[in-house]
Amino acid sequence: MSAESLTLNDGSAAARAEEMPLQVRSRSFTAVVLKVTGAADAGFFASLDSLMRQAPHFFVNAPLVLDLEQATDLQVKGDFVKLVRELRARRLSPIAIQNASADQGIAAFGAGLITLQGGRDVPTERRGRAAEAAPAASEPEPESEPAAASLLITEPVRSGQRIFADRGDLIVNASVSSGAELVAHGSIHIYGPMRGRALAGVNGDKSARIFCQSLEAELIAIAGLYLTSDDLGPTVRKKRVQAFLRDQTLCVEPLK
Amino acid sequence: MAKIIVVTSGKGGVGKTTSTAAIGAGLAMRGHKTVVIDFDVGLRNLDMIMGCERRVVFDFINVIQGDAKLKQALIKDRRLENLAILPTSQTRDKDALTREGVGKVLDELREDFDYIICDSPAGIERGAYLAMYYADEAVVVTNPEVSSVRDSDRVLGLLSSKTHLAEKGEGGVKSHLLLTRYDPKRVASGEMMKVEDILEILSIPLLGIIPESTAVLKASNVGTPVTFDTKSNAGKAYEDAVSRLDGEQIEMRIKPERPGLFQRLLRRTA
Ligand SMILES: Nc1ncnc2c1ncn2[C@@H]1O[C@H](COP(=O)(O)OP(=O)(O)O)[C@@H](O)[C@H]1O
Ligand SMILES: [Mg+2]
Repeated sequence: MSAESLTLNDGSAAARAEEMPLQVRSRSFTAVVLKVTGAADAGFFASLDSLMRQAPHFFVNAPLVLDLEQATDLQVKGDFVKLVRELRARRLSPIAIQNASADQGIAAFGAGLITLQGGRDVPTERRGRAAEAAPAASEPEPESEPAAASLLITEPVRSGQRIFADRGDLIVNASVSSGAELVAHGSIHIYGPMRGRALAGVNGDKSARIFCQSLEAELIAIAGLYLTSDDLGPTVRKKRVQAFLRDQTLCVEPLK
Repeated sequence: MAKIIVVTSGKGGVGKTTSTAAIGAGLAMRGHKTVVIDFDVGLRNLDMIMGCERRVVFDFINVIQGDAKLKQALIKDRRLENLAILPTSQTRDKDALTREGVGKVLDELREDFDYIICDSPAGIERGAYLAMYYADEAVVVTNPEVSSVRDSDRVLGLLSSKTHLAEKGEGGVKSHLLLTRYDPKRVASGEMMKVEDILEILSIPLLGIIPESTAVLKASNVGTPVTFDTKSNAGKAYEDAVSRLDGEQIEMRIKPERPGLFQRLLRRTA
C-alpha cells in the first residue's frame, strides 16, 4: 500500500536526516486482497483453507486486506475480532479493510484494522475460487530501482526447494520437480521439464510471462491469477508454451 | 584419499540398511579398507544385518560424547578383514549426534579407511542431515513407486544444498541412483514405475537395479550381507553396483524395458 499522507519531498527528508533520529519515506508494498462474501462462517474458512493448500505462496509474508463490498453481515466489532483471530491462527496478517461502510470502518478499527481507500485493484478471473492477489499500491518509487537482474539456475530444482528471483526474471536451465516452486517478480523461463509451480509477476506485474519447454506444472500464476494442473489440458500439456495475461485472463498457448 | 558415501532415501523401508551392508561388504571384497556406520540412532539395524549385534560394547554415540575411543567402538568383521562396523546406540536419540562430533569421528576414520559408508535414517530431519552432511558421494536408494521417487527427489535437493560440499560451493554431492526391490512383473503390469520414467524425474546416473529377492530376507536372518550370496540375483546385482561405484563399467543384468536404454544410461554414468 502507499502511505500517501507520508509522501514527502525526498530531498528535504534527506537534508534533515542528520538532525532527526528517524527518516520518513513513502514506499509502496503489495497486499493480498481477500474478498469476504456474506458472513465469515465455517464455509468461508473451509474454502480459504482449501485455497491456502493449493496456493500457499500467495499468503506468505503478505499483508492482507479484507474487501467488504459483499460482506454486509460483518457489522460489529466482535465479528472483526473473531475474523482477525481466525486469520492470524492461519499465519495470515490482516492489516486493513476496503470497500467498507462507515460503520464497518469503526467496528473494524476496534479490531485493529484500518480502512484503506484508493488501492488499485486488478479484477481477477474467479474460476470459482475466492481469492485475489493484486497490487493495492499506486505510486511508483520516487528513487530509481537498480536495474532488474535476472537469476539463472542450472541445477535441477527438486521437490521441496523454492527459488525466488526478487528483482527480474528467473531462468531455469534444468528440470523443475513436482513439489518445487519458482517465484519471480518478472517472467519465468524454464528449459527443462516443468513439473512444479511457477509464480511470475508476484508483485503485480501483469506483463510478466511464463515460458516452458515442456509444461507439466502443478500450478502456474501471473500477478495472482492462477491455473492448476486440472486446468491445463492436452493442448498444452507437455508442450512448449507461454502463459500470459490477456484481458484479466490467464492464457496458456503453444509456442509456434 | 578416503571417500565418504552416504546411503540415503528420505523414505523408510526402501533398503538403505540392506544396501549399506551389501556395498560395504562388496567394497571390502574388492580389497578396499571399508567401514560402515549406523546413523539410525535408536533403531540400530546395521549391526544385526552385519551379524555382529552381540559384539557391540561401545558405539558411535559413546565416541562422540568422549566416553569411548574410536578403536574401542569399531567392530572388525569376522569374514572380511578389510571390513569394520561402527554401530550406533539403541537407547539414545538423534539429538546425541552433533555436527562437530560426527565431523571429528569421520576425520579420524579417514586416516585408516578407503571407504566410509554412512547408513542414513529415514526422513529429512537431523539424523539424515548429519549422515549426508560430510559425504563426498551419495547412493540414493529408491523403490519403483511414486512416493519413493518423490522423497528421493527431495533428498537430492538437500544433497545439492545442505551439505558440506554444497556450502563450500563445490557443486554438492555426487549422487547415484540405486533402484531396489525392483519387480519386473509388477513393472510390466503397470503397478510399479518404469526405470526410464524414474530416471527422467531424478536425472542422476543409475548405479544399479536390485531385484526383489527372497535372498535378501534369508541373508538378513543369518546376519550376512547379501553380497556374500554370490549365487543369488540380488547378490550379483549388488556386486555389479559396487564395481560401478568403484569406477568399472558393467552392463545391467536386468533386461531393459526398451532396447538400447541401458547402453545410453551407462554412457551417462561414465
Ligand atoms: N531387494 C530386496 N528384496 C526383498 N526384500 C528387500 C530387498 N531390499 C530390502 N528388502 C527388505 O525390506 C525391508 C527394509 O529394508 P532396510 O534395508 O531395512 O530398509 P531401510 O534401511 O531403508 O529402512 C527389510 O525387511 C529388507 O529385508
Ligand atoms: Mg535402515
